[in-house]
Order: sequence, then structure tokens, then C-alpha cells
Amino acid sequence: MSKMNVVGNRVLRTDAHDKVTGGKGYTVNVRLPGMLQGKLLRSPYPHARILRIDGSRAEKLPGVKAVLTTPDVPQIKYHPVYFAPSTAASMIKDMLILSDTVRFAGEPVAAVAATHAEIAEEALDLIHVEYEPLPAVFSPEEAMKPGATQIYEHATNNVAMNPAFSFGDLQRGFAEADYVFENTYETQRVHTCYMEPRVCVVDSDGQGNLTVWSSTQHIFGLREKLAFALGIPVSNVRVVKPTYIGGGFGGKLDMGYIEPIAALLSIKAGRPVRIEQTRYEDFITTARNPVKMHLKTGVKKDGTFIARYAKSILDTGAHTTHGAVVLMVHGFFGFLLPYRCPNSKWEGMTVYTNNIIGGGFRGYGAPQAAFAVESQIDEICEQLKFDPIEFRLKNAHTEGEQHPFDPNFKLSSYRFEECLTRGAEEFGWSKRRSAGSANGTKKRGIGFACQPLWVSGCVGFPDIYEHSGAIVKLNVDGTVNLAIATVDMGCGQNTVLSQIAAEELGVPLSAVKVSYADTDTVPFDAPSHASRVTYSTGNAVKAAAGSAKKRVFEVAGGLLNAAPGDLELLNSRVQVKGSPENGLSLQDVVKRAESPCVNMVPDGMQRTPLEEKGTIMGFASLAPTSNPSPAAVQFVEVEVDTETGEVKVLRVVYAHDIGKVINPPGAEGQVEGGFQQGLGYALMENLVFDQSSGACLSADFLNYKMPTAMEMPADIKCVFVESEEPSGPFGAKSLAEPCLIVPAPAIANAIYNAIGVRVRELPITPEKILAGLGKL
Amino acid sequence: MKHLISLEINGELHEIALEPYATLLQVLREELGLLGTKKGCDSGGCGCCTVLLDGLAVYSCMVFAAAAQGRKITSIEGISENGKLDPLQESFIQSGAVQCGFCTCGMILAAKAFLSTARSPSDQDIRQSISGNLCRCTGYHKIVDAIRMASVNR
Repeated sequence: MSKMNVVGNRVLRTDAHDKVTGGKGYTVNVRLPGMLQGKLLRSPYPHARILRIDGSRAEKLPGVKAVLTTPDVPQIKYHPVYFAPSTAASMIKDMLILSDTVRFAGEPVAAVAATHAEIAEEALDLIHVEYEPLPAVFSPEEAMKPGATQIYEHATNNVAMNPAFSFGDLQRGFAEADYVFENTYETQRVHTCYMEPRVCVVDSDGQGNLTVWSSTQHIFGLREKLAFALGIPVSNVRVVKPTYIGGGFGGKLDMGYIEPIAALLSIKAGRPVRIEQTRYEDFITTARNPVKMHLKTGVKKDGTFIARYAKSILDTGAHTTHGAVVLMVHGFFGFLLPYRCPNSKWEGMTVYTNNIIGGGFRGYGAPQAAFAVESQIDEICEQLKFDPIEFRLKNAHTEGEQHPFDPNFKLSSYRFEECLTRGAEEFGWSKRRSAGSANGTKKRGIGFACQPLWVSGCVGFPDIYEHSGAIVKLNVDGTVNLAIATVDMGCGQNTVLSQIAAEELGVPLSAVKVSYADTDTVPFDAPSHASRVTYSTGNAVKAAAGSAKKRVFEVAGGLLNAAPGDLELLNSRVQVKGSPENGLSLQDVVKRAESPCVNMVPDGMQRTPLEEKGTIMGFASLAPTSNPSPAAVQFVEVEVDTETGEVKVLRVVYAHDIGKVINPPGAEGQVEGGFQQGLGYALMENLVFDQSSGACLSADFLNYKMPTAMEMPADIKCVFVESEEPSGPFGAKSLAEPCLIVPAPAIANAIYNAIGVRVRELPITPEKILAGLGKL
Repeated sequence: MKHLISLEINGELHEIALEPYATLLQVLREELGLLGTKKGCDSGGCGCCTVLLDGLAVYSCMVFAAAAQGRKITSIEGISENGKLDPLQESFIQSGAVQCGFCTCGMILAAKAFLSTARSPSDQDIRQSISGNLCRCTGYHKIVDAIRMASVNR
């Protein structure tokens, strides 16, 4: 690849100045004239039928402008997940905006819009609801038993779906195995903990049109879901893209209850309605699904897999939401594909319970699978005395191989082995001691885990949106406007995509501005999710910039007396390749195209040729070729206090092949932040519920413990193995999700190395450590 | 019933009629439009709403506005002078300490209160000083870098 001027540089984020001075662009800051505040009344029961609901007293409270109960709401069943259309056959439509049956404690039953939030809250108390409580079930295993309460008519034994996939001959595989291992692993329900609460403002124009502002990861998904649930055409909904959102991590990857409710309240009141969730409401309306995974693994004497079987039970809560796709990602990309094995089978179950609904969360179903798979590989290596690095390499895919999911695509850039060897060297893996051999009461241990292959988006699932689009417009001052539907949720998408546009157009990063966008004005893009933006939207931005550049060369060709194909754009200058003195500034070219019909030249007025006229723009809307896999390895050192059970992570080395790194500090930030989420998943975070009422007991940051700066290790090193992906923009692949997939098993493996105790259930709390040590 | 109270915010005196239960956070955001102070949880758990009260970092969601009378309140809008950024704002930009940015203003103010008394803090001291402020994006690593940079460069 030729030398690059912007891509690969350590650049400052384009939105940092705005954010350190207050940050105007969040949806929580949207204020409209006459705007009302909406509040939701939520069910105290985990499962109940509503016999009667009466909002008439609430309507009479001064300041109340609209009350919404079930009869006011279209009874259209929908699914809220943005990345699949409402019509997708694979998605289960089991939600109503307001229903006469509630299925989790906290499910909305009514809503109020009033001039002030306090009045709306007071009005909620005046809504009379008569419930008939129904039996509730909180464990998937209990829910599947005959005689358990049926949460839906369509799901026998509360099983929403039970996919199974296999290849090879599993029975023969196990017969040929020299050793067979069976273990069960369990993960808990955790929250994304985005800092900006979910919030929206919806403004109805009284003629059937809605304008929507929302802290969302996908403006087009919200448009489509909202229109579907309300039974109106998509063109009646305009979703305005937030300048940025205060974190998402997958937690804003579906339409919430608030958007359709705010829409209906706005239609009823004839005024804009804002609903901001409280932190409690955030905690009970999205979470990573807990999974219980049973693994049976057959291994040959030489350390290769010969048979692998897994069964996964996923608790999807009261509605499926993401639970169907999370299960598939879990099975395919968490279990079946990362390693080679000739005989494999996976079956999964997405099970309804009266627990809260799940949502998207970075890594989707893979962290649950990686915890099981990577823990068990270490258990196998420990028992059979295999080197855990060699074992993984022996079973991993290699560069040049066919993509395991997409037969038309090759793993052209795939440096998993280099990630392992460079990571091990940087970390000092060779100094590992045998498990539990450390002296003293505080014992140190080291461990690692991998996500050898990661495929999330872009592989051509039949029902999933993948295409991306961009518009690039050049200005007479030589600057560039980039209009994209992609939402920057904090990962630095705007910066990276601006770098890609700047590199392609030969302008400095400061010349690119990401513009206003809404669903009426910019081409579709799939959500900011699935580690896909740099790769997929990056390619669209590069193509749009390339198309604008082509037009620049056409206009400049006439002025420079050169064929457009002989020109290049460097440092904001269009010049003839090989004779850079023969050139023009980009500004002059754009000015020429934007000039009036006559141009003043020293000899007087001169008509400019019509074919040189017109705003220089580039446009692209394209689907990604496939998903070139990144590879991720993480080494950690822990210290376990054998008297208190406390685990501290002391240092981390993360080695990752992500293709070309577009903005190194941004990539490091992804890794460091991903580790914080993974550390919380491994050791601390857990949404806890009362087992009789289903009420969430940890729905605030005082009871839901996520890592602070004190729990995070000071020593985090990022090793980026920069392969060059031919199908990626300037060689880039993807990064975001594996950063959170690998920490939990890496930490579990390091804990085993420290004290010789294997914990197969997250989070690994002091109680579990002490129990493992026989002290509890 | 509303009461008239007087608050000194960013060096400017404001007279505001308030319900006695109004928090300082509500006043800053809803009455005065100072939107740089964020509401992340409204229950003293996240630190997004951190402001300075007589130079000390407080959660503005946990302070009744009436209790802030007669004290100097500083929000993020009050720490840059004549368009010149505070050294911490500058170091947060330079260190790549900003991602989604929702915690950033609270972090900067917590760090500002800390650096006003800590002369040459260790990294562990810096971590302690922001341990009441949650961030979900950065892993705190570059935030610690930013605070160290501001501390060393003064």
C-alpha cells in the first residue's frame, strides 16, 4: 500500500472539543417549543392480566395533556430489533406497545404527557389498574417443564426457538476421540451501562407525520420499527440523527417502549413529547441474555478436536427481542466457527421467562460462548498436559483458508498465530508457573483467551441489513461535507470515517466535516453495531469520496489539458501524475465547477463550459463483500487473595489483528474500554432479581457494580498486528466486539493458574473463590 | 410552593423561583440551560453531574439547589476563560480521553477539584480521585493519562 497521509496517523477525535466544553449534540439536550414530558406507568407484577384500566382521573389533573392506555394503542405485534426488517421471517414478533397482559415486572401499562415531569409522575398515581396476577416463572429450566405457566400461546413449553446445526458425524467423532470432556458453564445477566439514558422526543405535525429525535444506534431501524408498530408508512416518519450518543454498546440497538409511546402521546396532545428513561428504567429494559452452555468435546491424542457438541439455553425474558439472534451468533460465531473440527453439533434454545427483556450488547452471544469454550480448552490442556498456545493453533483456521461461513470468501488477511506469539512475547508468557504453585496468601497467576475468528455482521444472513451509504460534497473553500446515517456512539466512527474520506480525497482531516443527517436525506446504513462500521461504512465513504474525486478530475482535466486518468489529488491539490508542477488547488477546481455561467479572466468575460458545472458530489450505497475476520488474543495477570477471595487484575496484553489501524488512539480506546466491560462481566456485574416478585434489586449504580478506575489495571498494552485486508477500506477490518469477548475467560484461566480453582459460573465473586478453596 | 433563591453560578448571580425539592442538577439543566452537566442516574451513582461547590467536587443530583445558596458553583461552562480551554479540557482532548463524552465534563470537574490540592499525585491518587465517576467507554486509561498530563504541565 502506498504511503498514507491521514489513515494510520494518531489523530485527535473530531468531536472532542465539543464534548469537553459541554457536548451539545446529545439527544438529552433536545428542547422544542411547547414540549411535554412523558412518563410511563409500569406493572408491579411479573405476569398479570389487566382486567380494567382507567385513566380518567389522571386526565383531569391540571397540566396533563394526554393519557395513553391500551385501547389508545394499535395492537400490532412487532419485534424491536433494528438490524432486521419487521417482515423478516426469522424474527419473532411478540411485542405490543401496550398490551393487556404484562410479562415482566416493570413492563409499561400506561403513559402520561404533561407540561412538567413532576405532574406526569403525579398523574401516573391517578391511573387505576386492576390486575389479575398470573403464575410467574424465572428460570428457563423451570419454564420448559411440563405444567409451567405458559407465557405465550405460540411457544410450547416457553421455547421461543430451538435451532440446531451440525456437520460431519458426531457419533463417529466421539467414538474416534481419545479423550472426551464434558462441562457446563453459566453466565449472568449484565447491563450495557451506556451513560446517556435512553431518551426521545417525538413531534407530530397533526397530518400524520412524525419527527423523531432519539439516542439510538440506528436511525433507519427506528424509522422502520416505529412506522410498523404504529401502522403508518415509513415515509411519515423522519428520524433525525443525533450528532452523537452517550454510549450504546448494543443497548440502543432496538426500539424502546418510549419511542412509540411518545409518538402516540404527541399525536394525542398535538405537541412534541419527550420521554427520558430513569436509570431504573434503563436497567430493566435491556441486558445481555444469560446462557447456560453444556460442552462435550472429543480430542485426539495429537491435540486436535475430533468431535464437539454444545447445547445452550438462553433466557430471553418476557419477549424475544434480540434473544433469537443472540442465540444464533452465540452458536455459530461463538462456538461452531472459531476453531476447526470435522464433527460438530450445536443446539440452542431461546426460552421465555418472566424476567426482564434482553437486548444487544457488544459481542452479542459470543462472550457467553467464549467463556465456556476458552475455559474448557484450558481445562483440556491442563489435564492432557498440552501447551495451550499450541493447542489452539493446532485447531485454528489459517490465513488463505476459505472463510468458514462464507464459501465465496477467503481469509486473505488473518494473523491469529502472530497475535498469539507476539502477545505471548510481550506478556512474558514463557514465565508461567504450574497452577496453584504461588506462595503466600496472595497468589498471582496468568492466563489468556482467544477469539480466533470473529464474524458478526456482513456475512450475508438472509434477514439482516448490511449495506452502507455515504454522500460526499465538496465546498468552494476546499472542505468536504460527509453525510452518513451512521451514528457515532462514542467509538469514534465520525473521526475514522472522516479520515477515510480525507485520505481518498487527498485533503487534511480538518477539511472534512460530518454533516447533519436524517432519514429523509441520506442513504441507508445498517446500524452502528456488529464491529461493522469501519469496514462496511468505511468502504461506502471511500467509494463516495472516490466518486467525488472522479468528478474533480473531469473538471480539472479541462483546465490542465490532461486526461482525468492522469491526475492525482494530494495535499488538496490536483496535479498531473509525474509532473506535480502542472496542477491546481482543489479549491480552484471546485470554484470552477460552482462558478456562474461567465467567469472573469484578464482578457474579459469568458463563458465556462457547461460540462464543468455543477456541485461536485460523490455518492455510494453498497453492500459489503463479506466479513474479513479479525483475530483476538488477550493475556492477563491476576492476584487472588486467598483469605478474602478478592481478585485483582494486575496487567493485560491484548494482541489483535484488525487489519490496518485507521486511528491508533481510537483503537486503543476500544481495547481499554472493552476490557473494563469484560472485567465487570468476569468479576463484578450482575443484575439481581427478587425471586418471588421478579423485581430488579440492582437497578442503580450503587447496587450494580461496574469497574471504576480503581479496579482497572494500570498496565494495559495493545499490540495491533496490522495485516492488510484487500476488501477493507485502506486495508482495515474490524475491532469493537472481541475486546469484550475475551476478558472473562482470560481472567478465569488466570485465576485457575493462580489458585488451581476452576470457576465455571460468572461473575467470579469472592464467595465463589472461597468456596472453590474450600473455605466457605 | 416555590421560593426565590439566589445562586452564584460560574461567577454570575441568578435569582430563581424553585420548589424546595429542586436539585442543583435540575436548576442547571432545566432552569438555566447549562446542559454541559449531565444526568446519568439522578441517584448519586455515576458522577456525570459532577460540579464544583466552593471548589469541591459534588454530585449536583445529590445537592438541593437551596443548599447551594451563598456558595460558588462552577459547571463545565465556567472553567474556560475567554474561549481558552482549561488545561484539563485540553489534556482530555490531547490524550484521547474522550469517547462518547457523556462522563467527560463530570470527570474534568472531579479532576479539577483534585488537582487544586494535589501537587504531584501518583497514578493511584489520580485513580482514586475519579473513582466516584463512572465511564463505560474508555477503561479510564486515557483519562488517567489526561489528568497526569494536566498535573505535570502546570
